[in-house]
Amino acid sequence: MSRRWKGALLPLLLLAAWQWESQRGAVYAALFPSLQQIGAAALELWRSEELQGAIEASLARACIGLVIGGAAGIAGGLLMALSRPVDSLLGPIVHALRQVPLFAWIPLIGVWLGSGEASRLFVVELSAFFPCLLNAYEGVANVDRRYLEVAQVLRLPLATRVRRLALPAALPGILTGLSHAVALAWIAAVASELLFASGPGLGNSMLMAEAGARMDVVLLCTAVIGLLGHAMNSITARLGQRLLRWRDVENGS
Amino acid sequence: MTFHLKHLRKEFAGDGAPRVVLDGIDLDIAGGEFVAIVGRSGCGKSTLLRLLAGLDTEYTGVLLHEGAPVRGTDLRRGVVFQDARLFPWLTLADNVDLALAGGTLSARERRALIEERLAGFGLRDYIDAYPKAISGGMAQRVAFARALVNRPSVLLLDEPFSALDALTRGRLQQELLALWRREGLTVVIVTHDIEEAVLLADRVIVLDQHPGCVKRIQRIDLPRPRRRGDPAFGAAHDSLLAEFDNPEAEPADMLAA
Repeated sequence: MSRRWKGALLPLLLLAAWQWESQRGAVYAALFPSLQQIGAAALELWRSEELQGAIEASLARACIGLVIGGAAGIAGGLLMALSRPVDSLLGPIVHALRQVPLFAWIPLIGVWLGSGEASRLFVVELSAFFPCLLNAYEGVANVDRRYLEVAQVLRLPLATRVRRLALPAALPGILTGLSHAVALAWIAAVASELLFASGPGLGNSMLMAEAGARMDVVLLCTAVIGLLGHAMNSITARLGQRLLRWRDVENGS
Repeated sequence: MTFHLKHLRKEFAGDGAPRVVLDGIDLDIAGGEFVAIVGRSGCGKSTLLRLLAGLDTEYTGVLLHEGAPVRGTDLRRGVVFQDARLFPWLTLADNVDLALAGGTLSARERRALIEERLAGFGLRDYIDAYPKAISGGMAQRVAFARALVNRPSVLLLDEPFSALDALTRGRLQQELLALWRREGLTVVIVTHDIEEAVLLADRVIVLDQHPGCVKRIQRIDLPRPRRRGDPAFGAAHDSLLAEFDNPEAEPADMLAA
């Protein structure tokens, strides 16, 4: 409990400093809208259902992109790790392409897919794809050699080998990849709205607020983006703990 | 003959000259026999066991199991390693079930077989527990159950008791003897513990090192159950131990009994 309070201390101090700054005069108030103003903006956007719409659009974009990109990444990583021919076929190109930073893809994506929803989703998918692929691959490739010998001695059929050895052994890696992917997908979802600005979303709301000199709305969106990202990360962490329970059983001896 | 080895040679390729680990191994092991292989660490005794198991198939010379060359693992040969090697994400029952995955039994038949096997090792109450929740001795019992659930004719053991405390080790040694007699198994156990070899085996094979070859084969004709305090037991033990008394000897890990 005391740890939690310590964690809250700095944000509270910052908020207090913020509030103090916003009270210092008109010039500052325009750049540092007071907490009341931000609260009022939240209420206003909530009543007009603009906020809900933006959150929903951004979350949906992040989730869809995460599912598609993540699933493709995990499947690709597993296939590459389990099959040497697939690995030698795909390995070089995958490792070359992953060196290209996400934002360096933007011009190409814009040309190929336009500046609509397809492009935004693709950015999110791409952001989720590589961490999932790499970690799933590593997870399977680093399966304990001693377990592989057991599989050999017991002559496990391929399906059993994948289901009961490769997948569970790779699960910690897959979950690590997924948690990176969740964080990146959320960032990419918001960024894609800033880069391909059209249609609803938190990033888009921010751009419009900036254009309309509504600093309170910009800050509100920033706060919402941060809080939602934090929530998604903690959900992923919980999920990981549940799925890896076999690692934490108390030793009864 | 269950195993027939002739001029068996194993070398590992490294940088430069290949390292010869085993050379000129001639050995016959009869069905139902209990054989112990002893030797210093690094003499290639574990390598020999891996060859018998089919885990390592790159050798020259003759290695026959029931008349056929060993070219890979086989369910007729059960293997237990020094560590239990249970998959930590599977319950004990599912760990044993792995051994039946390639078979034709229905899920219910497999479950019945697994329960019977684990109960036989005194693990009835832990069938659905995870490996983390049980002790090292219990884990090794599960490893035996897993190796035996397919009713192999041969059991290959690579220092199966050396990671256990003395009390557990003694108990598991007795359980192994009972199993061997009850199921008519052929057992080959690799150990660095001469006392264990004399306690268990019909024959003790002493391996020399650099390169590993058979230095001596000692038949142990003592009646079972054998007692460590018995003078004949002590004589067999000391005579085998003398094989390791040479000036170059490292401070003997052989004495670790």
